[in-house]
Amino acid sequence: MQFDLNEDQALLRRSTREFLEKEAPLAETRVVMEESAEGYAKNLYAQLGDLGYAGLLLSEEEGGLGAIAFAVVMAEMGRVAFPGPFLDLTLAVQMLANCPEASAREWQDRAGAGSALVVIAQGEDIGSTDPASPSVVFEDNRVRGSKVFVPFGAQADALIVSTAQGLALVPRPGAGWNAMPLTTLDHAQRFVRLNFDDEAIRLTDPESGAALLADALRLGALGASAQMFGIMERSLEIAVAYTSEREAFGAPIGSFQALQHRCADMLIQTESTRSATFRAAWAEETGTGEAAYLSSVAKAWAGPAGRFVCGQTIQLLGGVGFTWEYDPHIYLKRLKTLEQFHGSTAWHIENALANAPLMEA
Amino acid sequence: MDLCFTDAQIQFQSEVRDWIGAHLERPFTSEVRDSAHDANSLVEVRRSWQKKLNDAGYLGMRWATEWGGRGATEVEEAILQAELNRADAPVIPNFLGVSLLGPALIHHGSEEQRRRFIPKMLSADEIWCQGFSEPGSGSDLASLRTRAEPDGDNFRITGQKVWTTFGPWADWIFVLARTDPEDRYGGISFFLVPIDQEGVEMRPLKQITGESEFGEVFFDGALAKREHLVGQVGEGWRIAMTVLGYERGASTLASPAEYESQLRGLVSALEQRGTLEQPLVREKLGRLVVENEVMRANGLRTLANIAAGIAPGPESSIQKIFWSEYHQRMTDTAVELLGPQGQLEARSPESRPEIDWAYQYLWSRAGTIYSGSSEIQRNIIAKRVLHMPTAR
Repeated sequence: MQFDLNEDQALLRRSTREFLEKEAPLAETRVVMEESAEGYAKNLYAQLGDLGYAGLLLSEEEGGLGAIAFAVVMAEMGRVAFPGPFLDLTLAVQMLANCPEASAREWQDRAGAGSALVVIAQGEDIGSTDPASPSVVFEDNRVRGSKVFVPFGAQADALIVSTAQGLALVPRPGAGWNAMPLTTLDHAQRFVRLNFDDEAIRLTDPESGAALLADALRLGALGASAQMFGIMERSLEIAVAYTSEREAFGAPIGSFQALQHRCADMLIQTESTRSATFRAAWAEETGTGEAAYLSSVAKAWAGPAGRFVCGQTIQLLGGVGFTWEYDPHIYLKRLKTLEQFHGSTAWHIENALANAPLMEA
Repeated sequence: MDLCFTDAQIQFQSEVRDWIGAHLERPFTSEVRDSAHDANSLVEVRRSWQKKLNDAGYLGMRWATEWGGRGATEVEEAILQAELNRADAPVIPNFLGVSLLGPALIHHGSEEQRRRFIPKMLSADEIWCQGFSEPGSGSDLASLRTRAEPDGDNFRITGQKVWTTFGPWADWIFVLARTDPEDRYGGISFFLVPIDQEGVEMRPLKQITGESEFGEVFFDGALAKREHLVGQVGEGWRIAMTVLGYERGASTLASPAEYESQLRGLVSALEQRGTLEQPLVREKLGRLVVENEVMRANGLRTLANIAAGIAPGPESSIQKIFWSEYHQRMTDTAVELLGPQGQLEARSPESRPEIDWAYQYLWSRAGTIYSGSSEIQRNIIAKRVLHMPTAR
């Protein structure tokens, strides 16, 4: 038994951290939040594509590095609240790799290289959210219908759309997307409602489409949990550093037991998220058959745990924690967004329960 | 990263499972439900279970072979504990002796002490209790005031110990006593004291569960022989602190295994009530399942680090807080979901056969207090993991 990362994974963590701290510090996320129309740094995505990051989830032959490496990278991206749909891009690349269509291969290569942005458009309006029965239709080589909360849908070069007839690929139409931007609390994450009546390529039948969506949900939950872990880890560092410096009543406030116990609780939540996430990544990588269960366990845990940690970091910083200028809100917002996607906390609780070994008769 | 057991460890696990299947007559909960038993006969059930474990070589497995060990690793010990807890096997009456005193004697005791005490401790022919806490010294253990004064070659012990688990049935007590009032840590020594003597009075204390599993002990010039001093005078604190960390691996998987069994019992009770499909019930149950699985992830991580030779250190504080507070949340929720039935005591008509929820609900209050309270564990995390500033 061993919990530690192997040498390659440890090296990946170091080099990813160095790259992100240099090229994408939190100040860059701030710029994206406040100024960027695109909502992400396109040139960074090209660089990451060059380095092979977008293909992390591919098979080893295609340059993938495995689920543990994926979790390592996602955790690092969480630490800097890396802007844009990078997790969604890696999921799309993985999905395209498993579609037999020739056109899928072409888009996989472009998306994997970071030269095209491809994401999955799955969400529909409340009441039709069952991914197994989308209301969007594919017929006569066109996709018709509406998808909502498509991450960076307005910026995408192509979308993988779940339809009642299976997965379809919609390249950006000549006239651009019929997209309505939605403003959510994390200004570095952009979502749109998309109305489709566009030419499309069929990728799968409904059955294999559903299987690929289930894979993407499981891997997305893992990636989101890993990002949430990174967010919590960094958030706690900020809280401990601040309370160790800031003085009140003639002492650093971090010497007060009430605050120490709060930070201890934050550590328990954070480290437990690490344990659950990397155990799920390990199960995914080794194919133990528990991956769906364990990734739901990780995601169901990470959301509430992360809300606690990020919320308490704001609390421990006091007034400045509530300002736009200080960083804790950036982490709280990203955390909250991640909790809502790739399966909500409630969905993963139910999925964990349904798959729990102890529910077997 | 590798969170799998090796083939040999899996083999050991199945051996243990088979052995428990062949030797455990019924779960301990069923023993407790049996109205033919009283507190004394339940202790005898535990004693005879310990003898079986000892005969099979399952006690002190990491010790040297001459002391009953088999050169086992912490992973194997953790597997054994998890299987025992899963099966609801009785807790051995000498669990404090085996987990604390055994290592203390092996690492710090004399050859004579090992020969004299270890075999009977393992066979449960002598039951040991622990004399650490005092009425004024719990979390702040080093403030203890029970004193040991030289009397010729020997020592005379005077003072009071409390929360003495299994005290009412114990033959011997290992005691931390003050040999130097001026030296907070270096003035504490470690003694082995027979209970059946003038100068020792053991009084049972009634717990919130109605049992009297622990007691208080009064020493009034009780005799502790020189040959029953463990280590040197003044080494008691160091010895106690070392052995408290000795068993860090064994329990890593035991709590989630035990709680999973309890959750199984909850699921079948809910099924019978016809409420298992209710969304609010499923959410509460699902959260318990998730948290227990996260606890197991923490345990696997700690165990894997130990197996890889990485000292776990303060991770054990996380583990202690997690299992003890989880058990409170779990029993709270279970009793709530079971409605009035959740309050039925084991021997009441209509109580659930598999889990004694009323008892578990009450017993769970102890876990956050004993072996370093949740508050002390949080102090440890803040200081030793987060390195937060100390109060001026």
